Amino acid sequence: MTVGLLDGAAKAQSLLDGIEAAPLVITPVSATFKDTRIINVQSNETPGKNVLHFVIAHRFGQINEGAYALWGLDNASMRMAFDYGVTDRLAVGVARSTFQKTYEANIKWRALRQNSDNSMPVSVTLYSVAMANGLKWSDSSRENFFTSRLSYVNQAILTKKWGSSLSLALIPSFIHRNLVEGLTDAHDQWTLGAGGRYKVTSRASINAEYHYALAGLPTEHVNSLSIGMDIETGGHVFQLHVTNSQGMFERAFLTETGGRWRDGALYFGFNLSRVFDL
Amino acid sequence: MNKSTLLFAVLLCSLPFAANAQQYLTREGQVRFFSTTPIEDIEAQNQQMTALLQADGAFAFRVPVLGFRFEKALMEEHFNENYLESHTYPNGSFEGSIAGFDAALQDGEQHDVVAKGALTIHGVVQEREIPSKVQWNGTGWDIDSVFEVAPADHDIAIPKVVRNKIAPSIEVTVTATLLPR
Repeated sequence: MTVGLLDGAAKAQSLLDGIEAAPLVITPVSATFKDTRIINVQSNETPGKNVLHFVIAHRFGQINEGAYALWGLDNASMRMAFDYGVTDRLAVGVARSTFQKTYEANIKWRALRQNSDNSMPVSVTLYSVAMANGLKWSDSSRENFFTSRLSYVNQAILTKKWGSSLSLALIPSFIHRNLVEGLTDAHDQWTLGAGGRYKVTSRASINAEYHYALAGLPTEHVNSLSIGMDIETGGHVFQLHVTNSQGMFERAFLTETGGRWRDGALYFGFNLSRVFDL
Repeated sequence: MNKSTLLFAVLLCSLPFAANAQQYLTREGQVRFFSTTPIEDIEAQNQQMTALLQADGAFAFRVPVLGFRFEKALMEEHFNENYLESHTYPNGSFEGSIAGFDAALQDGEQHDVVAKGALTIHGVVQEREIPSKVQWNGTGWDIDSVFEVAPADHDIAIPKVVRNKIAPSIEVTVTATLLPR
């Protein structure tokens, strides 16, 4: 019996050995990143069609506040976001951050997707967000315009996944403010960001991202550097990280990052996402 | 392996078979799997199964795991990334023979047979006896088979939080029409 089985198996092995399978249908590479963000910055991923992606994110106070403030945990800045997949390639979203009481409306489009056979070697995703500062006017005696509250960020997110574990991103961003504080402050800024993730298990990865302001930043601001990890539990993705940026919308972390790594002026935080099928 | 070596290997394999046994082949066999729980049904379809049946009953199939299509993109992603680890284990396969298969079955009627052999999923081999149906359609063989696969038997870990969404035993349906090679 056993001999017969082995015999059969051996024969069958030679059966398919010479036969090439039909070529795999070329599909877009999936799961370049676990979530729609690497840490702060957008990844190439969008929610699937008719999927509502809800993200609740916190950045606590600065770790160097010490034990008195429980290393920052006494304070938290929060961002709540809803992203909706109109198609598998197009998503729209709204969000609100406690940081400067900011509202966001955003749109994200996977213009190009890396293919399983690398006939398209990279993914290119375009992201555009409008942010509205919700703080009371600093000077209510002068004439204030709603447009003064607005700022915009446009990004191209270039990503590539190698094998199943390593994914890297290159992200140029253009930032525009309708209103700036000083006469000499620039309305427009460019940053170049790099990010990536390395999967350590099938459900966990180490992530990092850095954004460099091409024309420099005012002395009170520095470039944003974040390191974290993704943990996926089926339906939920937890992203835990340490970053020197407290703001979680693009203009804030790209150009208004205040913490310095060498001072330990860092924020512990998390993004917690949940998907709902509509 | 370069192309000429491959060609040589194909020739080497096919020559003796051509001499002593007719072969029936498909490259577009269908595999469907279905998991049902009170919370969620999960279904996936694959139409890229390569299968080969030989007149002496030797039978094998191979299914590219990346070829399974799900209703929801996220299910497909989890299936490949977390459960089947399709990058490491790109194919599911069966290698064995159909017991009692012979030319007498070639009467156009549907016959119950048992495929005995090694079922490999997620790199884990299980010896299985799978009840199947074969029917001669005039030119080739129609094969139908429905069987259960328990993820645990193939070292596919399902975390506790989703255990009520994924059935402990998953129904697999294989349908194919194999034509003379």
